[in-house]
Amino acid sequence: MSDEKPPRRPRGASLDEIDRRIVEALTRDGRAQSTTIGEELGLSGNLVANRIRAMDAGGQMRVVALADFRVHGYKMLARLRVKVSGRAPLDMARELAEREDVLSVHLTSGRYPVSCLYAFRNARGLIEVARAVASDIAGVEDVDVELINTVYRYNPTLGPLGA
Amino acid sequence: MPIETPEYPATDALDRQIAIMLADDARLSFRKIAADLGVTEGTVRGRVRRLQANGLLKLVPIVDIGSGGTGMGGNPGQQMLFITIRCARGKIDQVREALFAMPMIRALYDANAAHRLIAICLLSSLEEAAEVTNQVLALDGIREAETELVLQTVKHNATIGPVATLEDLAPATTGDVGHEGRDEGAA
Repeated sequence: MSDEKPPRRPRGASLDEIDRRIVEALTRDGRAQSTTIGEELGLSGNLVANRIRAMDAGGQMRVVALADFRVHGYKMLARLRVKVSGRAPLDMARELAEREDVLSVHLTSGRYPVSCLYAFRNARGLIEVARAVASDIAGVEDVDVELINTVYRYNPTLGPLGA
Repeated sequence: MPIETPEYPATDALDRQIAIMLADDARLSFRKIAADLGVTEGTVRGRVRRLQANGLLKLVPIVDIGSGGTGMGGNPGQQMLFITIRCARGKIDQVREALFAMPMIRALYDANAAHRLIAICLLSSLEEAAEVTNQVLALDGIREAETELVLQTVKHNATIGPVATLEDLAPATTGDVGHEGRDEGAA
């Protein structure tokens, strides 16, 4: 471990060429040692380690363990889209976001201003949630439920890290 | 051709605890995880390997959507677009394969007894959003397509998701995914 502090970077700053090559190496193996990455790229292990720390500290990049929802005991996913009236969609979105089984919440420009991804432990959970959202959450005009059958692609390598 | 979702092997509480400990820092030492969970380092390493081999855990860098700049796979990704597609009867496989060829589509699901496809695109500008919308609507076999531009991300759990995908099981093709078609490497 080095005591050297990674240089401070402003939030949202862009990655440079060296950062990008390090991120590419991490894409191949997220746990690759800094020295191994350094050898691969012709950089010192210290430099690689500092860059990784700086990107992490600056909120630009993080090496995460992305676990399938099944590892967390969920059995299925559904997208719930909500039509809102008489309430600010952001306010409703924040209420939904508090729930642990809501994995993501987005505000969109479409017919359904609030769109979220829900995880369920069983089929009954899906029905209960759809009912609860329709009846217990203020401002819900209509709920569209789409049960996700098959995931063909899921590429999470870019994402809103702050949300 | 119809595609069957494979059965995934059962996971237990230890798998979950390891996933939680690695969630925000996938580079955390296995020794530390082992000590915290009261198991050996070899057990942690074996569990992580098995989860990875089964496609249930990925240790990956996530680049912040605003920090990508140009050059991250040619796709800076600052604009998110949802496209929901209802396909004409019998056309879903054809449409899905066409969408699969589009790299800006970062996630692709089918929903509600396979009549609908949901595509999530990451784009660098509104111009690109227009372009992808044009490309998708021009595809043969689409009955209706709805596009929603994401205005704000209120919550995004970067560490739980539909991680095990058919793309990982059969990278060259979207079809012919068998239950027994993989090397499990369960050691």
